Amino acid sequence: MPDFDSKKVAEIHEQLHSHLPSDSALRVKALETLLVDKGLVNPDTIDAWVEAYTEEIGPKRGARVVAKAWSDPKYKQRLMQDAPAAIDELGYLGKATAHLKVVENTDDVHNLVVCTLCSCYPFSILGIAPAWYKAAAYRSRAVRDPRGVLAEFGVNIADDVEVRVWDSTAELRYLVLPQRPPGTGQMDESELADLVTRNSMIGTNRELGINRGSTD
Amino acid sequence: MDGIHDLGGKEGYGPIDVDDDGSPFHHDWEGREWGIAQCARTPGITIDWWRHCRELIMPQDYLGRPYFDSWAQTDLSTYIEAGWFSMEEVIVGKATPGESYCGPAAAMSLQQVLQEDHNHAFRFDAEIESVPVFSIGQHVLTSIHGNVGHTRLPQYARGRKGVVHAHHGAHVLPDLSAQGKEVHQHLYSVSFAATELWPEVQNSKDKVYLDLWESYLSDGQP
Repeated sequence: MPDFDSKKVAEIHEQLHSHLPSDSALRVKALETLLVDKGLVNPDTIDAWVEAYTEEIGPKRGARVVAKAWSDPKYKQRLMQDAPAAIDELGYLGKATAHLKVVENTDDVHNLVVCTLCSCYPFSILGIAPAWYKAAAYRSRAVRDPRGVLAEFGVNIADDVEVRVWDSTAELRYLVLPQRPPGTGQMDESELADLVTRNSMIGTNRELGINRGSTD
Repeated sequence: MDGIHDLGGKEGYGPIDVDDDGSPFHHDWEGREWGIAQCARTPGITIDWWRHCRELIMPQDYLGRPYFDSWAQTDLSTYIEAGWFSMEEVIVGKATPGESYCGPAAAMSLQQVLQEDHNHAFRFDAEIESVPVFSIGQHVLTSIHGNVGHTRLPQYARGRKGVVHAHHGAHVLPDLSAQGKEVHQHLYSVSFAATELWPEVQNSKDKVYLDLWESYLSDGQP
């Protein structure tokens, strides 16, 4: 059982720093080998998790949630009031989304999500976070210079639009509901979902459009 | 702890590498580490203890080594601290025969893992007897001090005035959860004006929202 001994862990990290090979692949291999040797993990289960988060669970889920909210006002109402229940209607409730909150962009408000203390992310609807989301530059600057950060993503926010940054300091997770692009009134949910980018659901993309959507 | 992990508002980290090809993993070992973290956790630990063990990584490693590498190192540290692995086993990269064997673990299929992900929608809230001290719209002041152990009140938001935006019921307090103690406390979303947080921000209505526990807050006159 753990002793929850911070000093001991700090010493362990110093020893690992000195004695482990530098190559990350070798470090992870050592961890996996020990877990398998001790019967704590089955390597086939690791394969299945990799497949799940490569093929099945990713931002396409979030895009479908957004498209459904755009198309169905009653679904949007449920999503805004109780996001975990609303995503569970689509089978998307899962890792890190039991306390999901949806924050809506409007003409007057732009939302941006960050985790300054670690890298909290709503995995079961957005999959694995992009590298920049987990990097020191984004984590340090998103709360202090959100407009500068957004400009680096090619997003320029008008002065009269309020920027709201959500720092994920608890077990709540945030999903940005981007604005439905104009000229999409005839589109069905599937076509709308194709317009929704991952970055728009984090807040580093604002204006979606027929020619602007991509897989990023 | 006032560690290297507490990055909010720190300066000097440069531009953001915004390019990303959308791939979840860029090396096989990243996927392995992700999978390991999903299918095993050191028995008896909490998410907050795991986070604290990641915060305790030496600063040069925390900033200088790849992201999922820090997960692997955190996992190794929690298994060693709890007595599941010896340091020698980790350095050699294989188990000493007969030590702490508890397996073998069963294999799970993709369908089982997808169900498991759904099962991993862990909740951290609970009903408690005490009523919330603060109400929506109330002005609050954050604590000027952190906690020598784990805490979720970032340095940039200490000693600052904010407004309660929402109340989320009582959630597990990370400061104690990182010591293995499960205590629930009222949790609030608090909005802070950018002008309250950053000296260089003028004439802005931008805001930063943080989710903060009741013990981080006191009444703050507007």
